[in-house]
This record gives sequence, structure tokens and C-alpha cells, in this order.
Amino acid sequence: MDAAPGAPATGAVRDQAGTGRRAAPRAPRRRTSGQRRITSLEVFCFVIALALIFSGPLSRLLDRPGLRTGSTVFVAVCVQALPFLVLGVVLSGLIAAFVPPSLMRRLLPRSPSAAVPVAGLAGVALPGCECASVPVSRRLMQQGVPPAAALTFLLAAPAVNPVVLTATAVAFPAEPRMVLARFLGSFGTAVAMGWLWARFGRLEWIAERARRVAESRGGESRWRVFSETARHDLVEAAGFLVLGALTSAVLNVLVPAAVLDTLSGQIVVAVLVMAVLAVVLALCSEADAFVAASLSTMPLLARLVFLVVGPAIDVKLYALQAGTFGRRFAMRFAPATFVVAIGCAVLAGVLVLGGVR
Amino acid sequence: MRRETQNVLLVLLGGAVLKIALNGQYLRYVKPGLQPWLIAAGVATVLLAVVGIARDIQAASARANGVPAAGGDDHGHAHSSRSPWLLLLPVLAIFLVAPPALGADKVSRSGDRTAVGAAPSDSSFKQLPDEDAPLLSIGDAVTRAVWDSSGTLDGRQIRLVGFVVRKPGGGIDLARLVISCCAADAAPVKVRLEGDGLDGFESDTWLQVRGEVLARTATEENGYVPTFRVTSLTEMPAPADPYES
Repeated sequence: MDAAPGAPATGAVRDQAGTGRRAAPRAPRRRTSGQRRITSLEVFCFVIALALIFSGPLSRLLDRPGLRTGSTVFVAVCVQALPFLVLGVVLSGLIAAFVPPSLMRRLLPRSPSAAVPVAGLAGVALPGCECASVPVSRRLMQQGVPPAAALTFLLAAPAVNPVVLTATAVAFPAEPRMVLARFLGSFGTAVAMGWLWARFGRLEWIAERARRVAESRGGESRWRVFSETARHDLVEAAGFLVLGALTSAVLNVLVPAAVLDTLSGQIVVAVLVMAVLAVVLALCSEADAFVAASLSTMPLLARLVFLVVGPAIDVKLYALQAGTFGRRFAMRFAPATFVVAIGCAVLAGVLVLGGVR
Repeated sequence: MRRETQNVLLVLLGGAVLKIALNGQYLRYVKPGLQPWLIAAGVATVLLAVVGIARDIQAASARANGVPAAGGDDHGHAHSSRSPWLLLLPVLAIFLVAPPALGADKVSRSGDRTAVGAAPSDSSFKQLPDEDAPLLSIGDAVTRAVWDSSGTLDGRQIRLVGFVVRKPGGGIDLARLVISCCAADAAPVKVRLEGDGLDGFESDTWLQVRGEVLARTATEENGYVPTFRVTSLTEMPAPADPYES
């Protein structure tokens, strides 16, 4: 936080909030430090200068095989996910600027438990991977959509859209039923989590900044709302994306592939290993089908679990959720999603694929 | 973090993505098909930041003239979030380090197995082109070696392009990495090289080799890695797109 010199910063913000002007949503301030005079811009310039001066040693430091592989994977995950994140924040900005909250409330059924499956089906329409759906679902929440429905959308959109299902069909040419199984497993996970939230969820777990419902935006140009919202969401979410990419890169280098081969024999172990692998690898939902297909020694059911768990929860998504909805939310939502996703995937696998194979 | 700093970071991030998308470096990390998306994302990121900066300047000059600014003034000191600092990491990584494409290290981390493509649904492989030593991808050669019972590879001279992976226990493989989305999902395909004149090459040296895949050498015990008997080879620079798809 950067306080204006000498001014009690929190007071200034409260005044602004009181004017009712709809600015880009802000994080609540955690502390005040009126004395701090060094601004982030100065720190930033200092860091850049240091990095430029020491770029030689820095490159040499990273010039070890393992670190090189890790840094390539890190940049790859960032570069791969950024277009989808940008798509998500642009959509989020458009919703904030052009879709009035009243329209959302009219479109969705009044009761949250009826709104949940509708939100799940709406996920079919967002052809992105999971990075796009996090900002969009937060925006839906701020536009007055019940949290249960917005969370269902969050889980459904990356997993059941046509792009992902087509990729799955291409990756499993010999197993066309895999597509149906994946659809049912992911859709089931999303709807079950929505209903669970409607029944047990508490609003205060979600960070205040994420559930602040949009006020009327009288007098402000819509394009201004659009660009401010999109810019703000991008800055916030991209940071957490980087954190997720970092985790994924470290695990990608450290988890030995040989572990997989020895575990493929037992179905229960295989299912759990594939579920954990989906979480730590943090693959894009458009790519995970090809990876699952390439793990050909694994039983089909375990690979289905991999496909259902991956888009619902992984380290990158956890970081994004914690950043967007708050840590208190992510700590509860992510483990519940993990368990529900495994359950739904196994159920769908037994029903559609005809048992454990 | 200050709004100004955020905007500068966004310009740098968008610029970094544009840079690698335009100079071809992006092929080290993602598939060729993503290029238009990367350009669009880079432009959008830079634009959002530039619009933000322009508004700030406008609001500041309006304030200086004593006009109550139309809402541009309330962002200047509003964020307590520290997460945007993390954006420095990919920016610095791309501009200063520019991590290379994955290579032998990734292959050795991926165990002894080679990835094997799926058999065609009617399990008939297309005949190889009727020329002397056609160029095949390593993935194609491995898939044929494992699944093809009609013998399209038998007795045929083919050419392969890949990089050298020296194995700790001796032995030398020619490998490529197959990516389906980005480098995080890379899986190795490889053949074991056999022949004279292979000892001088370090790991990660790119070679074009000519020779033949020995029949029935891809077995479960050796991780389905077929043996390739080299008749001639040439060293070559790394191709622009180092991955197979």
C-alpha cells in the first residue's frame, strides 16, 4: 500500500466509497502506514535496475539443467495461460459495463438450487480454460448472481465447453465414451459443488472485495467501466497466475515420472495418484486430454479422474481462487472440490465406461 | 502497489509477450497455433495499461486546473494487494534470461519410456512416401515401430531429426519432445541409436540421422524405445520449432 504522505489513507478511501461512485473494486486495506514514503514505483525501478546490472550472474545462476528446465516450464505456463486470462478479464469487463445486474437476476431462476444447473449449462458457452473462468465468475457474483451459481459456472466452464470436449475426442480416438464420461463427471462436480455451497456455504468466507455487489454506475461512461474493470482484474489475477505457474514448474521438475509406472497396477492407488498429479501439474484444460492419453499404462478410470479433477482444482487455480475470493474461501472450497471431483469422476466412469478398466 | 507501477508492469508484460510472439521465441514454450492469440493478448494488455495511464494524466491535469476530476483521481493510492509484484518474474525471465527450449534434461527426467501415439483406428498405417529415405518425425517412427504389424518400416531407410540424449549408463538416444499445449505437458519420444561415430556428440546436439528402425526392438522391457541403426548422420542447428506435435 502506498499512502499519500501524511494523509490517513484509510479515511481517504472511506470518503471515496461514500460517494457511491463505481470504481474498479478494490482490495480492503490491511494496514496503514502513514510514515512510509517510498512508493512502489521507486521500489520497482530499483528492482529493474538491479536485475539489469546483475543480468549476467542471474543468467549464469539459472544455467543448470534442472533450473533451465524449470524456468522454461514456468515461462511456458505463463505464456500459455495469458491469452485465456486476458479473454477472461475482457469478458469480465464487458459484463461489468454492459450487462446490468437486473438482467442477470431475471435470467437466472430465483432459487439458488435451481440456478445452479442453469449456471452449469451456461459454462458450455465459455470456450476457454480455467484461467478465464475465475475473473468471469467473480464478476457474475458482483453482478448479483447467487454465489452458488457463480461457483458452479467457475467449475463447469473450463471442463464442459466444446473446445475441451473436442480435444478429448481427438485425444481418445479409440474411446469415444470418454467424452461423455468427462462431460458427466465435470458437470456433476460443478452442480454438486454449487448445491453444497447453497446448503453449507457461508458468504463471509468469500473476501469482502469479491462479493461487493456492483452499485449503479450513473454518470460513468461504460467504456471507462470496461477498461478499468478489465485492467484491475488483469493485474490482480495475473500475479496469482504467476504464483501458480511457479509451483507447477517446481513440481514438474521434482516429481519423478518413474513413480507413475510403478503405481499403475492398483486401481485405487492409480486413481489417487492421477488425482494428485492433476492438481500438481496444473495443465490447461484444453491440453490435459492429450497428456492423459499419453499415460497409456494407467487404467482408463484413473485417466478420467485426471481429466475431471484437473480443470476443477489445481495449484494454479488454487492460487487464482485465493487471490480472487480470499484465502478463507479457497482453503475450504479447494479440498471439497478435490473430493467431490474424484467421486463424480469415479461415478461417471463406472456408469459410462462400464466399470474399472 | 501503486496504480502507476501496475500500469508500467502491464506494459512490460504485454511487451514481453509481444516480443516473443513476433520474434519466434514463443515456439520454445507453446505451439505455433497460439501466435495470433499471444499477439492479441499482448496488444490488449498494453492497451489496457496505456488507457489507464492516459486517464491518470488527464485526471492529474484536470486536478491541476482546479477542475474536480471525473473519477480518475480515486485510484492513485488504493491497492494493498502485493500479488502484482509477481508479474516481475515472467517479465524478467523473458527479457533477461529467455529460457531455452526443453531438451535432454527434460527427457532424462521423464524416465526410460518413450511416449507412443495411438494406433490408427483401423490399425493400418499409410505406406511411407515412395522416395529414398523419407523424413519422418520421431513420434511417427516410434508409433509405427510399436503398432504397425504390416511392416511399413521394415527394410526402409528413413531420416529422423532430433537431439542427442546421453544416458548415464552409457548408450545414446535421439529424442524429441512432443507438446500438445505448452512445454509443461512435454512428453519425450525417442529411439536408441546404434552405429559408428556416435561417441563425439554431447547431449542436446541436434542431428539428422539416416538409417533404419530395427524390427521388433520396441518392447515393453525397454520402454518401447526402438533401436535405430545409423548409416550416416549430419549435425544441424536446432529447428525453429523444436517440438513435435
